[in-house]
Amino acid sequence: MSTRGLGILAVALVALATGFVLADQVRTQLLTPSNQLARYQALVRSVQDLEATNADQRRQIADLRNQIDSLESDAAGRSATTQSLRNQVADLRAHAGLVAVHGPGVEIVLRNGSPGPGSGGQTGYLVNFQDVQDVVNLLFTQGAEAIAVNGRRITPLTAFSGSEGQIVIDQGPPLTSPLKIDAIGDRNRMAAALNDDSALPGLRARQVQFQLHLTFEGLADISLPAYDSSLQIPHVAAA
Amino acid sequence: MSRRPSARRAPAGARGLSVGLIALLVALVATIQIRSQAEVERSLVGVDSTSLAFLIDDLHRANESLEAEKADLARRRATLQSGQTGAADQVLRDEAERLRAIEGLVPVQGPGVVMVIDASGLTALDLQDALNNLSAAGAEAIDVNGHRVVTGVPVAQTTNGVAVDGNVIVSPWTISVIGDSNRLAQVADLMTQQLRADRRVRGASYRVETDVVISSLISEKPFVYALPG
Repeated sequence: MSTRGLGILAVALVALATGFVLADQVRTQLLTPSNQLARYQALVRSVQDLEATNADQRRQIADLRNQIDSLESDAAGRSATTQSLRNQVADLRAHAGLVAVHGPGVEIVLRNGSPGPGSGGQTGYLVNFQDVQDVVNLLFTQGAEAIAVNGRRITPLTAFSGSEGQIVIDQGPPLTSPLKIDAIGDRNRMAAALNDDSALPGLRARQVQFQLHLTFEGLADISLPAYDSSLQIPHVAAA
Repeated sequence: MSRRPSARRAPAGARGLSVGLIALLVALVATIQIRSQAEVERSLVGVDSTSLAFLIDDLHRANESLEAEKADLARRRATLQSGQTGAADQVLRDEAERLRAIEGLVPVQGPGVVMVIDASGLTALDLQDALNNLSAAGAEAIDVNGHRVVTGVPVAQTTNGVAVDGNVIVSPWTISVIGDSNRLAQVADLMTQQLRADRRVRGASYRVETDVVISSLISEKPFVYALPG
C-alpha cells in the first residue's frame, strides 16, 4: 500500500473512532434527559389520573350524602323519634364540617413571593402547608367556628401535608398558591390576631425576606361548602 | 506555475466543505442537547420526581379512603331505602355515635401509640406540628396529658407554657393516639429521632399498644356565628 493510501486509512480509522465516541456521548447525554423526561411525564400523567379519580369520588360522596339526607328527611316526616335523632345528627354534622354554613368572618389570601438569595431562597418564597396550618390554628385559637381552605372544609380529623409549595389537606389533591382561607367567627377578634406582629412569626419573616403575600379582610357573610371527603375512624371503638 | 494555484484551490474547497459540515453537525448535536436539557428543566419546574412519587402514594391512599367512605355511604343509603321499621333510626344512631367519637365528645379506645416527650422550652408550634404529623399518619383520636385534641381545639402559647383548650400542659407530654398502629409507629419513630436531636428535649419515646383508652372529652360549643346553608 502506498504512503498516501496508509494516510487515508489512518484518517478513516480516526474518523471512525471519533464517530463511535461521539455516538456514545450523544447516546449518553441525549437519551438520559429524554428518558428522564419520559419518566417524569409518566409520573405527571399518573398524578393527573389519580386527581381525576379523586375529584370524581368526592363528587360521588357529596351526591351520596345528599341522597342520604333526603331519605332521612322522608323518614323523619313519618316519625317524631326519627325527627329528634335527625336534629341531633344535624348539629353533630355541622360541627364535623359535613354541612354547608355561612356567617361573618375573615378571608385570608396567601400568595407565593419571589425567589431570593440566601438560605431557603429556593423554596422560602413558596406558601407551604405549615403556613396554612399555622393560619388555621391561629384562627381556631381566636374562636373560628368553621374554616375552609380553597373551598376545602376543615374537619376535626383534618391533617396538613405537602412539599415545596404544595398543600395537601386530608384526601384532596394538592393545592398551590394562591391559597384562600375563609373562617366564620368573630371577625374583629380574628382580624386583631392577624394584625398582631408577634403572631405567625415564620410567615412574617418570609414576608420581609421573600415578599410572600398575606392579606385579609373582614366580611359580613362568608359561605363555606360541606366537607366532601372521608371521615372514617375504623380503629376507634366506644370505651 | 499556472497549474499550482489551481491544484491548491481544489483541496482548500473540500476542506472548507468538511469544516462546514463538521460545524453543522456540532451545531446540530449541541442544539439537540441543549433543547433536551431545557425541556427537562422546564417540565421539572416546581415539583421534582421524588415529590411526584410521594404525591402519587398520597393520592393512592386518599382514593382508597374515599372508596371506603363511598362504600359506607352506599350501605347507609341501601339501609334507608329498604324501608324497614327502625332502619332510619339505626342509621342515625350509628352516625351520631361515630360523629361524637370524631368530635371528641365520648370516651374511645383502640390500637395505637403512646408518645412521651420530656422537654423544656417546647412551644405551641412544636405541639401543633407533632399533632399534625400524627393526624397525617391517620390518627383517629388524640389525647395530650388528659386533654382531648381534635383539629380546631386551640393549642396556644401562654406565659405559663403551652395550653390545650386553655389548660396549660406541663412536661412530660404524654400523647396518646388511636389509629393504624403501623402507620402511627412509623411516624412516632421519626418524630422521636428528631426530638432526641433537639437540645430542648431530655427524652422522647413511644410505645405501640393494642388498646389505648382515651377518656378525656371536649365540651360541646354551640355555634354563635355559623348558620347552616
